Formats: sequence, structure tokens, C-alpha cells
Amino acid sequence: MSWQSYIDDHLMADIEGNHLASAAIVGHDGSVWAQSANFPQFKPDEITGIMNDFENPGSLAPTGLYLGGTKYMVIQGEPGAVIRGKKGPGGVTLKKTNQALIIGIYDEPMTPGQCNMVVEKIGDYLVDQGL
Amino acid sequence: MEAVVVDAGSKLLKAGFAVPDHPPSMIIPTQMKCLPADETSTEASLHEIIIDPVVRGFISDWDAMEDLLDHVLYNGLGWEIGNEGQILFADPLSTPKAAREQLVQLMFERFNISGFYASDQAVLSLYAIGRISGCTVDIGHGKMDIATVIEGAVQQISSRRFELGGLDLTNLLAQELGKSYPLVNLSISDVEKIKEQYACCAEDDAAYEKLQLSCPEEQHTLPDGQVIKIGRARYTVGEALFQPSILGLQAHGVVEQLVHCISTVSSENHRQLLENTVLCGGTASMSGFEDRFQKEASLCSSAIRPCVVKPPEYMPENLSKFSAWVGGAIIAKVVFPQNQHVTKADYDETGPSIVHRKCY
Repeated sequence: MSWQSYIDDHLMADIEGNHLASAAIVGHDGSVWAQSANFPQFKPDEITGIMNDFENPGSLAPTGLYLGGTKYMVIQGEPGAVIRGKKGPGGVTLKKTNQALIIGIYDEPMTPGQCNMVVEKIGDYLVDQGL
Repeated sequence: MEAVVVDAGSKLLKAGFAVPDHPPSMIIPTQMKCLPADETSTEASLHEIIIDPVVRGFISDWDAMEDLLDHVLYNGLGWEIGNEGQILFADPLSTPKAAREQLVQLMFERFNISGFYASDQAVLSLYAIGRISGCTVDIGHGKMDIATVIEGAVQQISSRRFELGGLDLTNLLAQELGKSYPLVNLSISDVEKIKEQYACCAEDDAAYEKLQLSCPEEQHTLPDGQVIKIGRARYTVGEALFQPSILGLQAHGVVEQLVHCISTVSSENHRQLLENTVLCGGTASMSGFEDRFQKEASLCSSAIRPCVVKPPEYMPENLSKFSAWVGGAIIAKVVFPQNQHVTKADYDETGPSIVHRKCY
């Protein structure tokens, strides 16, 4: 299965009638493995900040989470595994696997819970596969 | 059938169907008595064991909690076995992940509910007064939570939980009364009632100092008929929240703690938090507490001065005693119809960890 099909067939798939606004799978170094067509272009230091927050949970909270220049307010995640950000009615969920970062950006009417379900499920599957 | 909202506190359990703008239909003591199985003993009352399922805000005795919920749901609210509905729980700050998972597991596996949701008490208390951002100072029986909430999400970094509450104030009062009346046998439940009736806060610390020197005394008749006089001890209890050194704690008073929490949030949000400060919890409804809090807040030297918000007029009186429950009733009307909750199918597929994904 190619990385792109993880994006097209799984991350961007419909869940309860809604789907993510954009999604990507990137390496821990920021290299893009696959992304949806409209995924924002992000900067290397944004990924560095994110990886740092997985190591030191809470480091992004004071300044906010930045992705593709958009600022998200950090909300309750799972230290070392999941970072969640909120921007108005939308937001982002980032799940860390052994070698990658699964990123899902959602907007209304999709709910944070639905985004988490999609992103974390794929993440758990990859972790089981050793990726 | 409406969803049920439950807020299990260390002293009182608030439960009822989600009817917004109404108080919970059940406000019962959380404390339970364990009666011995052997009923032939004539000294049965001496073997009664008091059990507290909820300690310092967190569920600690799960078997007792199960029995309590069984009573509340089936006897109190009229749920029928085989036709259980949806339930929403109000969690305190910093509830351990394992505890959240255990609760959702208990509800789906033992009670066979059809839908579950859990939300932070701080967020719910703000919803009750019509806000999605602000700070809450929730002083309950077993714990005090100072939380900052922005757009419905608790800012974990700038929220703090203190293991200080009405329970400690009751013990303090018992200690003070014990000094004046060493020979009188006061049970903790007697002292608790005295505290609820008489405890209050002095206007400011200068007034408190004066009251320590001379204070009018009131007479109180104990259940066994003895009469005691309650004087400055009633103000000592209220003062302890502003000067924790009275309790022997090396900590700042409640207003300073709040200011400290707000200062750790980025300054663009300060105004929103300060203008929307909510006082809630049973202990915060002590006579004179709100006025004293507001007064101490206005004396703050920094630019950060909290301003306490009044509940809307359509809300029931004494909202602060069950604001988290009322907020739960409000959000239940949104979460369940819009399927944002954990369904039985979700639980069966993913297991208890689903609660972290869907409920926050």
C-alpha cells in the first residue's frame, strides 16, 4: 500500500458524513511521505517545535502550535503521543508513530472527536506495523 | 428520554435528567454506610462502616461508586434495566486517565448505557453562566480547582488543583471548638452542620484582625441538648481560604493563586479570563466569600485584577452549588443529538481509551 493511498483512502475518507479538510504523513525530520492536495506548506521549525513537544509535553502551550503559518491553541492531548490544537470551530490532531507523524486538519462540521478517531486509528495501525 | 447528568462530589452527588435552567433533581450525600450482613447482632449500629466513594474529588472506591450509581440511576431517576439511556459525567481537573477509562468501562459494561460523555467541571461551570472562556475557582468539599478555560478547552498549564476544601475547614472548626470546649463531644457531622450555618468571611484582613480580638458570640444548641457559643471561630474558617497559614499550609491565598494562574497564560487572553471569573462549589457559597474575594481582587497590585461574574437571572438560585451540573445539562442537549458522544458501538470497537479521543 502506498503512502498516498493512506491519505486518499483512509485519512481523507468519510466518517459519519464528514471528512478532514487536509491530511499528511510526514517523517520526524519533516520530510513529506504523502499529503492531500490542499495540505498547507509548513516550515521545518514548526515540525521541530512539534517533535520537541512530544519530548517535553507542554512546551508548545505557552506560545501556541504553528502549522503552515496558522496558529492553533494547544488543548488537552496525550503526552508523548498525541498533540491536539484548536482554531475556532476547527483544529488539528497530530499523532506520533515510531517513524512518522500523522497530521489531520479539520474544520466544521467535523468534530474534534471525529478527527481524533480518524488520525489516531491510522496512527495506532502504523505503530502496530512497526512504522 | 433525556440524558442523565451526574456530578459526583466528595460530599454531595448531583444527578438528574438534562433539563437546562433547572437544579438537579437529586442532590444526595455521596457518603455511604455499609451495614453488616449479620443482622442478628444487637450492636449492629456500632459496626456501621462509613464509606466515601469519592475522595478529594476523585472516585476512589469503585465498588461503592457502582452501588451508589445503581441507586441513583435505577431507584432515584427511574431507569429500567434493559432500557438504559445516555449519561454525562462532570470530571474534576487533572482526573487521571486511568480513572476516566475505568468510569466509561463501568458505565458500558455494568450499566449497559447507550451513550457516554464526560466534560471538565470548569468548562461546565462556565457554560452554566453562558461563557465559553473564563476562569473558575471551584472550592468543593475535598478539593479546590482553579482553572483557566479558553473557548471551551481547559488550559492545563495554567490550571491548578489543591487538596484543600470544606473538609479541611470542618476539621479546622472542630479544632477551634475543641480548644474552647475540650470536654464537649463533637462529632464531625455536628461540626459540619455548625460550619454550614455559621461560617463566614470577614470583610478584609483588617476586619478579621479586629474580630480576632473581640467578636460577638452566638449560641448554638447541639443535638444532645448542650449549648455552646460560637464566636471568632466562624471567621477563622472563612479566613483560612485567604490565609492558608491558618491551616498550617505554606501557600498563597485563593486570589493570589488565581492571579498566578492567569499570569501564565499568554497576555492576549488575560482580559477575557479576568472579566469572566466564576466562583463555584459548595464552600465558595460561604456567606461573605464572594464580597471578600472581589475586594481582595481589587487590591491586587498587578495589572491582573479578576472580576467575578454574576449568573444570569433565569438560572436557579444557589447556582454555585451545582453550576457544573447545570452546565452539563446545557451541553448534553448539544452533544448527544449531534452524536459527539461515545456510543456503544464506539466503545465495543475501540475500548475504554476512546474516552480520551472523544471527550475533552
